[in-house]
Amino acid sequence: MDALLLSRIQFAANISFHILFPTITIALGWLLLWFRLRFNRTGDQAYMDAYFFWVKVFALSFAMGVVSGITMSFQFGTNWPGFMERVGNIAGPLLAYEILTAFFLEAVFLGIMLFGYRRVSGGIHTLATFLVAFGTTMSAFWILVLNSWMHTPQGFEMRDGVAHATDWLAILFNPSMPYRLVHVLLASGLTVAFLVAGLSALRWLAGDRARGTLLALRTALTLGAVLIPLQILAGDLHGLNTLEHQPQKIAAMEGNWETGPRVPLLLFAIPDEEARENRFELGIPGGASLILKHDLDGVVPGLNDFVAEDGTVLHPPVTPLFFAFRIMVGVGFAMLAVSWLGVWMIWRRGDINRPLAYVLVPMALSGWVATLAGWYTTEIGRQPWLVNGVLKTADAVAALPATSVGITLAAYLAVYAGLIIAYLSVIVALALKAARTPHEAPPGINHPGVDPEPAMALGMGGNRHV
Amino acid sequence: MSDFDWALWLPYIFAALMGVAILVYVILDGFDLGIGILSPLADDLGKDRMVSAIGPFWDANETWLVLAVGLLLVAFPVAHGVILTTLYFPVAVLLIGLILRGVAFEFRAKVSLEAKPIWNWMFFIGSLMSALSQGYMLGIYVLGLDTGWASAAFALLVAVCLAAAYAAIGAAWLIHKTEGALQISAVKWLRGALGLVALGMAAISLASPLASARIWDRWLSFPETLFLAPLPVLTLALFVWLWRLSARMPLEGDRLNLAPFAALSGIFALGFAGLAWSFYPYVVPGRITIAEAASAPESLAIILVGTLFVLPVITGYSIWAYRIFGGKAVDLRYD
Repeated sequence: MDALLLSRIQFAANISFHILFPTITIALGWLLLWFRLRFNRTGDQAYMDAYFFWVKVFALSFAMGVVSGITMSFQFGTNWPGFMERVGNIAGPLLAYEILTAFFLEAVFLGIMLFGYRRVSGGIHTLATFLVAFGTTMSAFWILVLNSWMHTPQGFEMRDGVAHATDWLAILFNPSMPYRLVHVLLASGLTVAFLVAGLSALRWLAGDRARGTLLALRTALTLGAVLIPLQILAGDLHGLNTLEHQPQKIAAMEGNWETGPRVPLLLFAIPDEEARENRFELGIPGGASLILKHDLDGVVPGLNDFVAEDGTVLHPPVTPLFFAFRIMVGVGFAMLAVSWLGVWMIWRRGDINRPLAYVLVPMALSGWVATLAGWYTTEIGRQPWLVNGVLKTADAVAALPATSVGITLAAYLAVYAGLIIAYLSVIVALALKAARTPHEAPPGINHPGVDPEPAMALGMGGNRHV
Repeated sequence: MSDFDWALWLPYIFAALMGVAILVYVILDGFDLGIGILSPLADDLGKDRMVSAIGPFWDANETWLVLAVGLLLVAFPVAHGVILTTLYFPVAVLLIGLILRGVAFEFRAKVSLEAKPIWNWMFFIGSLMSALSQGYMLGIYVLGLDTGWASAAFALLVAVCLAAAYAAIGAAWLIHKTEGALQISAVKWLRGALGLVALGMAAISLASPLASARIWDRWLSFPETLFLAPLPVLTLALFVWLWRLSARMPLEGDRLNLAPFAALSGIFALGFAGLAWSFYPYVVPGRITIAEAASAPESLAIILVGTLFVLPVITGYSIWAYRIFGGKAVDLRYD
């Protein structure tokens, strides 16, 4: 394999590992704030029980996200120097603002959020929780602005082969940014909804019926049930936006070779990129035209439009997009079915049952699967471009020996594999341990032997449960 | 001031900002990494207390590295590419070290008692890998990004000395944050590491002028030598003072417990100022100057505006966080 492919795999491995954790911390931060605010308001200790359990998962996920994020900022230089040399004038300020407005905010207030419960007032602790959640979301905003700009670049001009910003508002609000941002933030919400529901279901199966556990389960299922229809709508709009700006990506996702009306929605097929056709097609006639053009006779672009006269393929690889997209959509509909069933069950009988719990536990990672599949769809869908129409991926890569990249890639993969296993086993162990000792939080500030400093006395909520 | 040319000055402002970010990083994450390096010397209780002394801060401290590399990336993209591709393997070691160190904080506090030693070990290994690779990169950089065998040997020496310097400032932070037996051990560790710190600084001071005629001229031509003399003299004075002070520590009533940390920060800052003087105006030694490597002025300007607003705020809330967790370290707990 050459250095280009190895560098791509290395960056993909890196970002795939990284994205798992911000996807959790963005929405989990807001969920923790919700628990904290509900506690401030009601004084119900069950909310703090949920808070203290999930803040552990948050801390662990946050650390995983931070360390894998640092790796990426270095890899721009080690493996992709062409990226910053060519579009650094645009990418640079966006990355700088992410560091300045997001990274420091979340990193500093994380310490107070995690360890400050008894050192600062309830109000400050709530504020710290808010600032961490806000920081993670700001981080998502800046990085998605940059990523969206790489898909739909505008607001710049090329001078001597280097991009120069001409209109920052156009760069910030580039055409795909609003859709991508909403789609990713909703994905984060769903990932957390199913992670919380799944781990709570695991505790439920272990016999844990503590109010904090049921409360987390109920909150998570409700969150999932509310967000998933929104996500399906947002995904549809994002797709239409992509159709407008990157039709070749949509053509690959749909596995459609010829431009034309009444294009079927393929449920299954095996794209053959050599013969430029599909095998074993199973589709709904006119389905793709209906979804993409809202009209059975709507003309949907085909991949054969994106082949140069000399035969050079100008569209992304079809097979990975075709399948990644179907995995994402499939997981989305499974989320819809499970969360609605769960909410209905809790509404009817106030609790879940064992079969549902057995479904919810593996669904804990469904958000990860959908997020990665969606990420691959959009990123592979941009190939062969790194910045759509501006910079080819092959032109940005560092001239490193393939062996060097191979060695570091193997090392990163080993570390990431080890850490994923450690992470999953620790959160499962935390859940099972919590299930055995249902009460996470100490009884309260009058707990004997605890520093009598009025850590909570200045809190926002007056009617605190002690 | 009407003919003050911002476009000309912006790269130098950013070089200065990057320098500040690196120095703050080296001092702040230096003590985190140092404590990681020292951790195997302590018993289990001591380890917990040592982690408590940095637990609320390490993440924010590490962010200064992200800022420094970010500024290199966004302000001097060409230099970022040249430096990081040359240092490809040390960077990989640094990143894996930072990954292991960062997650070890969380894992060691959450795994079962049987698994905890593994993560204590990761905490040590990760901190050591990070410190050594940073030192190695410093050594290679000092010799003008030369990657021959002699340079590698010199860089290895700098690597060991920087790890010792981090251990020293880590011990100094422990003198401030702990008491009793651990504090007494920390004094011992500080004194044990100090010799290597001095050796490292001396080695860099000798090697960089010998390796580069330009740097030689910078330091050893009259009258510059006169103006520059305070730098080594002050450094030496701080070393002597710290050596004599630490011999008597801990003092009655825990007086001056922050003094070793302040003295080492001063030594780091002086050493850093010396390096800056040696390499200015180059960002890639002898090859690419600050002005040549800089991004377009309109992009730098938009970052500077944000930086000038945000950096004081960051400094403010960072100091506030240090105050919240001020005093002697106690066991960290979420609830």
